[in-house]
Amino acid sequence: MKGNKLDNASSAAKYKLSAGDKVFSVINYLVFGIFTLICIYPFYYMIINTISANDLSAAGDIRFLPSGIHFSNYQALLSLNGLGTAALVSIGKTVIGTVTTVLATAFLGFMFTQERMWKRKFWYRYVVIIMYFNAGLIPMFITMKTLGLTNTFWVYIIPGIVQPFNIILVKTYIESLPKSVQEAAEIDGAGVFRRFWQITLPVCTPILATVAIFAAVGQWNSYQDTLIYITDQKLYSLQYLLYTYINQASSLAAMVRNTGMQGMSAAALATQQTPTSIQMTVSVVVVLPILCIYPIFQRYFVKGIMIGSVKG
Amino acid sequence: MKKRIVSLAMCALMMTSVFAGCGSKSASTASASAKGDYSKEITLDVYDDFANYNGEQSGWFAKVVKDKFNIKLNIIAPNVAGGGDTLFQTRTAAGDLGDLILVGTSNGRLDDLVDAGLVIDMTDYMQGQDVVTQYKDAIDAANEGLDGMYAMPYSCSSDSATTPSEGTEPTFGPYVRWDYYAELGYPEVTDLNSLLDVLEDMQKLAREEEGTDDIYAFSFFKDWDGNMMNNAKQPCCMYGYDELGFVLSKYDGSEDISILDEDSPYMDVVKLYYEANQRGLVDPDSTTQNYDIMSSKYAEGKILFCPWPWASKSYFNTQENTAAGKGYEMLPIDDMKIFSYGAYPQGDTSRAICIGSQAEDPQRIADFIAWLYTPEGIECNEQGNGAQGPQGLTWDVDENGKPYLTEFGKKALPSNDVTVPDEWGGGSWKDGVSALNFQCVNLQDIDPNTGSDKYNYTTWESYLADASTPLEEDWSAHMDGAKTTMEYLESHDMLGVAPGTTYSTPTEDSNISTIRGQVKTTIVDGTWKMIFASNDKEYENLKKEMIDTAKGLGYDDCLKIDMQNAKDQTAARQAAKELDAE
Amino acid sequence: MNKLGMSAKKATGFKYFLWILPFMILVFLFSYFPLHGWIYSFYDYKPPRSLSDCDFVGLYWFKMLFSNKTQVAQLIQVMKNTFAMSLLGIMTSIFPLFFAVFLNEIKNKKFKTFVQTFTTLPNFISWVLVFSVAFALFSSNGMVNNFLMDNNFITEPIKFLDSDTHTYLKMLFWSMWKGLGWGSIIYLSSIASIDQELYEAASIDGAGRFQKMKYITIPELMPTFFVMLMMSVSNFLNNGMDQYYVFQNSFNKEHIQVLDLYVYNIGMTGSSYSLATAISMLKSIISVALLTVCNLVSKAVRGETIV
Repeated sequence: MKGNKLDNASSAAKYKLSAGDKVFSVINYLVFGIFTLICIYPFYYMIINTISANDLSAAGDIRFLPSGIHFSNYQALLSLNGLGTAALVSIGKTVIGTVTTVLATAFLGFMFTQERMWKRKFWYRYVVIIMYFNAGLIPMFITMKTLGLTNTFWVYIIPGIVQPFNIILVKTYIESLPKSVQEAAEIDGAGVFRRFWQITLPVCTPILATVAIFAAVGQWNSYQDTLIYITDQKLYSLQYLLYTYINQASSLAAMVRNTGMQGMSAAALATQQTPTSIQMTVSVVVVLPILCIYPIFQRYFVKGIMIGSVKG
Repeated sequence: MKKRIVSLAMCALMMTSVFAGCGSKSASTASASAKGDYSKEITLDVYDDFANYNGEQSGWFAKVVKDKFNIKLNIIAPNVAGGGDTLFQTRTAAGDLGDLILVGTSNGRLDDLVDAGLVIDMTDYMQGQDVVTQYKDAIDAANEGLDGMYAMPYSCSSDSATTPSEGTEPTFGPYVRWDYYAELGYPEVTDLNSLLDVLEDMQKLAREEEGTDDIYAFSFFKDWDGNMMNNAKQPCCMYGYDELGFVLSKYDGSEDISILDEDSPYMDVVKLYYEANQRGLVDPDSTTQNYDIMSSKYAEGKILFCPWPWASKSYFNTQENTAAGKGYEMLPIDDMKIFSYGAYPQGDTSRAICIGSQAEDPQRIADFIAWLYTPEGIECNEQGNGAQGPQGLTWDVDENGKPYLTEFGKKALPSNDVTVPDEWGGGSWKDGVSALNFQCVNLQDIDPNTGSDKYNYTTWESYLADASTPLEEDWSAHMDGAKTTMEYLESHDMLGVAPGTTYSTPTEDSNISTIRGQVKTTIVDGTWKMIFASNDKEYENLKKEMIDTAKGLGYDDCLKIDMQNAKDQTAARQAAKELDAE
Repeated sequence: MNKLGMSAKKATGFKYFLWILPFMILVFLFSYFPLHGWIYSFYDYKPPRSLSDCDFVGLYWFKMLFSNKTQVAQLIQVMKNTFAMSLLGIMTSIFPLFFAVFLNEIKNKKFKTFVQTFTTLPNFISWVLVFSVAFALFSSNGMVNNFLMDNNFITEPIKFLDSDTHTYLKMLFWSMWKGLGWGSIIYLSSIASIDQELYEAASIDGAGRFQKMKYITIPELMPTFFVMLMMSVSNFLNNGMDQYYVFQNSFNKEHIQVLDLYVYNIGMTGSSYSLATAISMLKSIISVALLTVCNLVSKAVRGETIV
């Protein structure tokens, strides 16, 4: 079993690197390096713009270095009414939503590989097809209201438990695993739950980490559910609060147009945050937690699993 | 148990939402509190189409309302909540829009609300309130065709229909960087073409002085394009036209012209802009920038011409700039006749306040609504729109009976981040401004509390005296001593006032709206391409292509309706004018 | 014995089904039951009126898009754009796979994590903000044009954003930039599942790096790839509109207008609930049909169905 601990790197290193390999490595590093920089720049651009003077930033003058540094954008954001509650709601729904989704997805993904299940294909399709259905706003709202879910925390969780896309991923993944382990366990008389919990789940960590990322980011970023189903301010999600904050900025800008000079003075406008600066600030605030958490999940898919060791 | 009943009821509701009507039509059966019994605090869900704030009203305005009525306002603002019509659709489908409802009534929406049983008849609750007698005409107009008093009016005015409803500045007008214009020696501008020449000279001068190339005479943006390119419509308004669908209708009804006509003012402006672009006077960012970016350019004074006072003066005419003699001011064009919206003696029927059918205490809500139409209500509620705020805090009357802003008022108005004294509710002034954003009464009306001055404090003598700057003095000196733009325009007969009427366009068929949607984008896109065409030939080709496509999509069908609407509107204006003359 | 075994098997099968039944009920409640709302598409629904108060219009909304020649011509152009964008999207859907495979070849763990984390960043930036960045870089006074002009490479600003040249490619470029890193996550996790023994054995057989990629990594990723491919094919009509909405202007509209944007542009999503329902219903049906076709093709070609 010693061989299993060697990863690609060391096994490749055993052989003398050919010239082609070297060239490939250099190009590989270079391309990835450049691409990563291209991906970082816009985010960097947003950060420097949110801390630069708002008028300069709106004019597009801030490109590489911040200027007129101030933090009023962030201060304004952090002093929003109800920010604390909203953050708690968002964290709550992200954690609970992710855990329930991952468990349900893993279980259903596993169950749909059990060929003995009654009408397995039918039920699988029954689930997959809903990805393409969109009933529309009004019936959804009335359904939620009928079920007593509007203005409750559970409206964030329950409707999202079954996610077809993720189920497909998990099912495909499990099917790609060697069947021998499962069969051996079944012969040993292991029940379906034991096979799921003790044998399948441990080897599924990479795909479940992926599903967790998808679910968590989805929950963290969604505001539509609050918009449609929640009017109780105590249940506002962070995203929704920030979203209304952005809207408020743009609708204030529109008000200047509608009421003309009467409502606004030059002084008031000069200190006003532009919708763009607010949008950027919100984006930065929302993305940073994701960036901090993401590497934790990542560990699960660099590890690489060792089928062999499960056997023993 | 209660929950169960609710969910059972909802279940029934859901079934009926598909096939039958929802909500009840019951009107004024139970009045929960006799007038004046406000001992129990209630929170109103306020569905407000116009609010720019979502959530509970806070600050000084909240305190006024709480003290007077023991009411808290929880504002539900579709503008801020987002999702377009989402909130309206789902809330109406569920049969409860809100306790207090402030809505736009166009396209038959008020009738629909009444028919669907979502709002109640408030006749009984309004008995004996001043508003009923004082604004009787307006209330009647707002409820025309309805059996009862379902709606309270917007922007009532005691001015005549032919009095401009604007304050010190018109809605549209040719504003330029006055300092550069002065440096050129105040050349005369006879028409739009000569304005182009002047602007060209100004651009040259400005670039030399500032040493940069990014100063332009014109800058456009696409965000507000609707039936036509918004920027190209504005100069039409300076010649007395306003849009009504695809028709430009003159303020006095003397002309209704299709925008795509060979000699329509719209086409003239497009040609003018094309010319301007050929001469390098148009900001090349115009094609891709949005309003935010454009307004930041005005804030830096980098665009020399602006069709609106608020986009130019509001952003650039800071104390610092005006003290240095820099700033935007209106530059009169000899042949212009700026479109002005007349006051609405019968109220502007395009917006209304209603009481929701599920409201708990309709009597108290009615009392609150009635208060909004009293001088005190107007001063407080409409502060965000330009009224002076509560007496004793922001303003007062001096020994000569003239209103003036207090020191606090000077700091706080119009909506600044100034701390309010605790006895007035504390918090920031700005955050305490009424979120309703609904002008019950026009601010150009006389406020009896001030003696004989208007609610609009920017028209007060004391305010104008304080506000004078070197820039304005120079402008005034060249404007025959006029103190405000409106004063100049009125005295030089450059204002075309369209009488305020209760006319609103009728409900449109779904198929026409759809065709209209497609035609709109064709016209907007075509216009942009024409302005940035590289030569005359391309310009003509693009024009032909635009007109052909628009007509192919059914432009003429829309036009027919718009023409009829324009005629009806003119008739209504004529009637309002005659009423005035009586 | 045999008989008994069969029925026991059946019983187990049914027991399995009972385990998933609660989830199937959830699916019914939140996805199938609300579909009764499709009925709105046959009415001219105008909130706040109740549906019974509104006119029944039959298939009007479905026919409307084809009602005259100019309209049909516009719709054809729109469909062309939709197909072009979707095809480009499908053709490039292999890129995230390669991204993962090549990233896996990077041996420096820190660098790998760094790349992996930060290439997902664009996914989190809304299209509106992507546009403001694009504007800062590529507008007439943007950074790129200023740089090129200052160094006399060009005399007139290049119109990156407001011309109709290579619109499809430009859009493809933006969407790839935004989605590549994020899209590769699935493949990275699949790579982690590949049995290390396979690499071991290959190494012993003397396989080099490229051979291992070609004969082990990529084939092992194929099932996932096919699933993803099938999804993008069945989502042919759903390009989404955010990206195209922020980048559209009068100059590139002819080629940027995909179906979703077209529907939005003619002002219908907001103003007519019925039409929006009709279109989303139509799209659902077409998507499911495409899915079925994919499945049949997959069965014919690979011998197994995907769904």
